[in-house]
Amino acid sequence: MAATSISMVACTKFSTLGWIGGGKREVRKRRVLSVSAQQDAEVKETQQMKDEKVEKEQVKKQQTPLRPVERQVNVKSKNMSAQMGGQWLSSVTRHIRIYAAYIDPETWEFDQTQMDKLTILLDPHKEFVWTDDTANMVFSYFQELVDHYEGAPLTEYTLRLIGSDLEHYIRKLLYDGEIKYNMDARINRKMDGRKIEVHSPINFMSLGL
Amino acid sequence: MQGRLSAWLVKHGLIHRSLGFDYQGIETLQIKPEDWHSVAVILYVYGYNYLRSQCAYDVAPGGLLASVYHLTRIEYGVDQPEEVCIKVFAPRNNPKIPSVFWVWKSSNFQERESYDMLGIFYDNHPRLKRILMPESWIGWPLRKDYIAPNFYEIQDAH
Repeated sequence: MAATSISMVACTKFSTLGWIGGGKREVRKRRVLSVSAQQDAEVKETQQMKDEKVEKEQVKKQQTPLRPVERQVNVKSKNMSAQMGGQWLSSVTRHIRIYAAYIDPETWEFDQTQMDKLTILLDPHKEFVWTDDTANMVFSYFQELVDHYEGAPLTEYTLRLIGSDLEHYIRKLLYDGEIKYNMDARINRKMDGRKIEVHSPINFMSLGL
Repeated sequence: MQGRLSAWLVKHGLIHRSLGFDYQGIETLQIKPEDWHSVAVILYVYGYNYLRSQCAYDVAPGGLLASVYHLTRIEYGVDQPEEVCIKVFAPRNNPKIPSVFWVWKSSNFQERESYDMLGIFYDNHPRLKRILMPESWIGWPLRKDYIAPNFYEIQDAH
């Protein structure tokens, strides 16, 4: 199976857009999803709490449906170089990268002005073998978390909470046998701390990640 | 048991409480937060021109927060300079202590760290913001009631 890395854009009242299966080039295919979430007025909060409870019960039975963002027109980013002090609001961990920006699924251009959307890049190192199903499980959990954190301040801390939960979720998928390690990955380490035996002469330790 | 500085402060009618001596025999005093700024100025004029260390700690679960200052009197030709340790306690729900930045400039980063780790607000500090943790961090990591978020750390992957 071709190793694919995956990303998606989510919108903050956080809806989702899967860009899976867009490309024909299997090897280079990445997974992106953008999600959006309009921040609603606080008055609705209590109502939503009730709704959420109902929703949650449903969620346990079925996955949160993705609410994809339709294709956006990107604005050219300016002054985002390190010299200008530009920084993407993001949470970057080993298998999950979340950016508070819209990323074009084909050109990979960032749009710094669309901070109402979150884009997730799933497993950029291609350490796991993903199918559309498993990737969608992660994406729908992402959507669920984004909905859960609705109204929270859009800070690195919140994104980190979401990203960490997703990493724990990926580990759970791994332990449940839903996903497997990609033995052809350039980096091969177990999530629980030990390195995998790789039948390859290349020394992966030298990558030092 | 009263030390030299305590006696001197009593003579000048300054409110404080003596906490005895630490293991090196250095006099330890407690001063109320509201008196601390004026006492700090007086101690500087008295001759304590060197803030050797400032730190803070959480006294007990649900208890007070303490800010500690080690002061030294540096002079030429003195072998054993006078030292004193000042502790200022502040309630946990509204920990406010006047900053001594305008007396000893070296307290700048120290107080920022105390603020970052324990959430003690230093009044009149010129730039009181987090120094070690990211600015968007929530909570005060060195308080005893702090619960660390379940963040995925890089070492989990290794």
